Amino acid sequence: MKSLATVLARLALWSALATTLFPILWMLLTSFKQPDISQALPPVWDFAPTWQNYRDVLTGNTYTSQVFGVLIVHTVIVTFASTLVGLVAAVPAAYALARLRFSGKRFAANWILTTIMFPPIVSVIPVFIFASRLGLTDTWPVLVIPYAAFSLPMMIWMLRSSIKQIPFEIEEAAMIDGASQADILRHIVLPLLTPGIVSASLLAGMMAWNEFLFALTLTRSAVKTAPVGISEFTNMYGTQWGTLSAAATVTVAPILVITILLRRRVVEGLTFGAVK
Amino acid sequence: MGWGLMSPALVVLFIMAIAPTVYLVYVSFRHENLLGPGSMFVGWQNFSRVLSNNENWSDALSTVEFVVLSVFFELGLGLGLALLLNRRLPESDLLTALFILPLGVAPVVSALVFRVLLDPAYGWIDYYLQTWGLIGDPIDWLGNPGTAWVAIVGLDVWQWTPFVTLILLAGLSGVPSEPKEAAIVDGAGPVLLFWHITLPFLRPFIAIAVVLRAIEAFKTFGSIFVLTTGGPGTSTEVINLDLYRIALQDFDIGAAAALGIVFLLFLSVIMTQLLGVLDRNTDILED
Amino acid sequence: MKNISDKTGVTEWGVSRRSVLKGGAGLLGGVVASSAIGASMSRAAFAAASKPASLNMLYATSEADSDAIKAALPDFKAAMGFDINLDTMPYNALQQKAFAELASGSSYYDIMIVDTPWMPALTNKIEPITDMVLDSALSADLNITDFIPKVFFDTAVYKRDASNLHFDKTDVVDPAAIKAGGFDIFGLPMQANVLTLAYRKDLFEDPANQKAYKDKTGKDLAAPKDWDEFTAIAQFFTDPGKRRWGTTLMAGAGDWATDDFKTLLAAFGGDGHLVNDKFEAAFDSPEGVQALAFYADLINGKKVTPPGTTSASWDNVATSFSDGLTAMTMNYHDLSLSPTVKGSVAYAVIPMGKSIGPHFGTWMLSVNSFSKNKEWAYRATQWFTSAATQTKALAHQLHPTRVSVYENATKDPAIGAKFANFYDILGKSLAVGVGRPRLTNYGDVDRAIWVAVNDVARGAATPEAALKAAGDQVRDLLKQAGYKAQ
Repeated sequence: MKSLATVLARLALWSALATTLFPILWMLLTSFKQPDISQALPPVWDFAPTWQNYRDVLTGNTYTSQVFGVLIVHTVIVTFASTLVGLVAAVPAAYALARLRFSGKRFAANWILTTIMFPPIVSVIPVFIFASRLGLTDTWPVLVIPYAAFSLPMMIWMLRSSIKQIPFEIEEAAMIDGASQADILRHIVLPLLTPGIVSASLLAGMMAWNEFLFALTLTRSAVKTAPVGISEFTNMYGTQWGTLSAAATVTVAPILVITILLRRRVVEGLTFGAVK
Repeated sequence: MGWGLMSPALVVLFIMAIAPTVYLVYVSFRHENLLGPGSMFVGWQNFSRVLSNNENWSDALSTVEFVVLSVFFELGLGLGLALLLNRRLPESDLLTALFILPLGVAPVVSALVFRVLLDPAYGWIDYYLQTWGLIGDPIDWLGNPGTAWVAIVGLDVWQWTPFVTLILLAGLSGVPSEPKEAAIVDGAGPVLLFWHITLPFLRPFIAIAVVLRAIEAFKTFGSIFVLTTGGPGTSTEVINLDLYRIALQDFDIGAAAALGIVFLLFLSVIMTQLLGVLDRNTDILED
Repeated sequence: MKNISDKTGVTEWGVSRRSVLKGGAGLLGGVVASSAIGASMSRAAFAAASKPASLNMLYATSEADSDAIKAALPDFKAAMGFDINLDTMPYNALQQKAFAELASGSSYYDIMIVDTPWMPALTNKIEPITDMVLDSALSADLNITDFIPKVFFDTAVYKRDASNLHFDKTDVVDPAAIKAGGFDIFGLPMQANVLTLAYRKDLFEDPANQKAYKDKTGKDLAAPKDWDEFTAIAQFFTDPGKRRWGTTLMAGAGDWATDDFKTLLAAFGGDGHLVNDKFEAAFDSPEGVQALAFYADLINGKKVTPPGTTSASWDNVATSFSDGLTAMTMNYHDLSLSPTVKGSVAYAVIPMGKSIGPHFGTWMLSVNSFSKNKEWAYRATQWFTSAATQTKALAHQLHPTRVSVYENATKDPAIGAKFANFYDILGKSLAVGVGRPRLTNYGDVDRAIWVAVNDVARGAATPEAALKAAGDQVRDLLKQAGYKAQ
């Protein structure tokens, strides 16, 4: 009886996995196909792979106006910058909420949490207007600050719970030894917080990497990111599946690799600290 | 000292939450013509237009439908997957690692891939459904409201079920074994076991998963925008798409601001309810 | 709060109120003086503005044949001495970006491509070039009368504060007359698009097909002259088992559906402008119902269109035809078949109904009114729309907007070899094309109509009900935009 249940469970799991991975596998497979077979029906499973699509995508030999490789570089820059800004803001705030007592703390904590309800489409309208009036469209800050703000509430929440898991006795001992607040933060809390920081960074980084609406509205070409570039792969003459899937794979691959390599931290990050 | 440490975060959030809201409130009482002359104060006109426009109400309904359907299916499938993965088969670790991959795919990319796969003339999904004899004519997924809904909910479920699975899996691994063993000794079958022992322990985790997922689902834009753009017609248009169109295609900033504020008020009511759910079922909000 | 001390008039910044007022007056005077000088300089300064190192240009992708522009860039540099930084975007993103740039007063793009339906809303943000056109030094080589008058007037001539009006003397392009009439020129037409019929020449000339068709209908197999023939031919070629259908239709929810509908509306004797000069919703009429019923019948009754038609747009139908899925198609550019399909393409003017009015719209190159290099931007648009550049661009399938270039195209055997009779048909179709109404909120009107067309095409509504609903919506929209029905 037990082994039948196991067999059924296995069957269910592997079928679910096949369904889950199918779109990703399709993307990978199609990116290696020549143009004449990429849209063929019945689907061609056995073919000679080619790197041509990747070459086209990375050297700009496509209908899009910019070399896709450049857009990936932009995405990398925006991701790192916004994650950094987010950490700089989140770590001290999380520490204050976790350890310190000050008036208005409950209110601040609740207010920060409620900002995650703000749909980006609502905030993009004023940001667009402000940015236009200040001439900041298509500059780095116009993406970095909003991205940092999007992840900030969850980063603070996660880091706060991570800090709470650090036994206070360690800090107490250091305080008795005469260490200052700043020293405690830097030399004791931070090292112990590293896994939490990695998870929070992964959450912020993945969000920034994949973000679409703000990049679509606020960039032209100097700062345009990969997700916006991907949406340009359809045009009046038809969708080019080969280059589309190559560009999609290039966009998605770094994140997927990190997800596999750092999966425990990614899981913690993506579940907002609920799963450690 | 506390406020000092909080200040960088508060500055960033001020720029991105308070200042925009103030601006939106200001502009919602005006007709802002960005492309020509004629910007002026119009009082409650934007709000009355927004609230009397039937299309906005049906979009609001679509938004709620989308969230409810997506979260419902993600919960069901997520629970099922978590239970299966919790059996600790030798390949469970590998499977879990692979199952979380959709979470890393950019929503724009997954929407594009789905669109291509669902193409009635070239897509593999219709092709294989036909070859396996499951359907006769190819289904025009994005051309009919019913199937378009299947597509957008299906996309969300594909992308975010792993999220629910992970949380519930963590919950399952914490279910203590003594009550379970005692119940088995007493002759309880698997269904009773699940209902009376496992599920109560899972309640906080279910609450977290549902609340977090619902909040994110209300903010969905990119995937629906790329997959259906609100079509066919306006059948899959959620409020976020409506806002995008009014603000950034028609440039009727005043009307968009009014709609945005109404939506924000609605969301804050929802948020209060959701936080209440979290508070009652878990202790993560406690100090 | 800073306080101004009443007694001494000194603010907290240590500046006396009087000195602030004096300084302010001086500043104001200076501004007035320099702008007066500036205004008188601007006319004479046309020739003196310094050449920029580069200009930024916003352009479409294949909708306006960006390949031709890209290919012409080296020639541009050689002729004009500076670079063009080209940004290309597909239609929806382009529209959003163009409007966003202009709404925010950005000076980033000097030259912008503008599609005809956008222009009524943008007359306050696009630079009128009428004065530059009339400047003999600046426009010596413009040869403005060479532009196809119908195209020119539909696309480029508007009255700034009454953008719905049409200039009435449209037989010849006369800038002085335009200016005298209170109108302005807002750009130079770049690519003219009109709906044309394309068909598989090989299939039509196949003797087996010809015999079978003759046996079936008693008529010869040739490009359809009217809509009955069109239907018969489409039915003849439809064979789902062989993955072949008669024709494509763009019934997806988007601007393309409105364009399909207005073409048929004109064919059935209605007003292809959709909204007439009296601001009435002219499509909500018996002809409209007939046109829409015919359209829906092709899709759902006779089923001569491939699957996915009710979500098809420009790129789907282009792909369908080029992959050999259909025997005919109607689109706005020349088409080529994919390498796996062995065949050839020929073109024809779309079939005639009670009347004929294929949808037409033109892309034009305009100068951003916020640009800091307007004069050189204007020169650049002159170069791109010149006869020489357009003739060279024919090889990249550009649709010319100049009479002389059309003549070159139809006479050039190399062009004929590559594109069959496309340019000939393009010219003939342009002559009978019907454009869009000039409304600042055309986008909303467009949407109301395409929703109706899509609903009927999917069988979700009857033509009468859908057109009535769309008509009511459009009447509301026109009222909201201040267009009073007369």
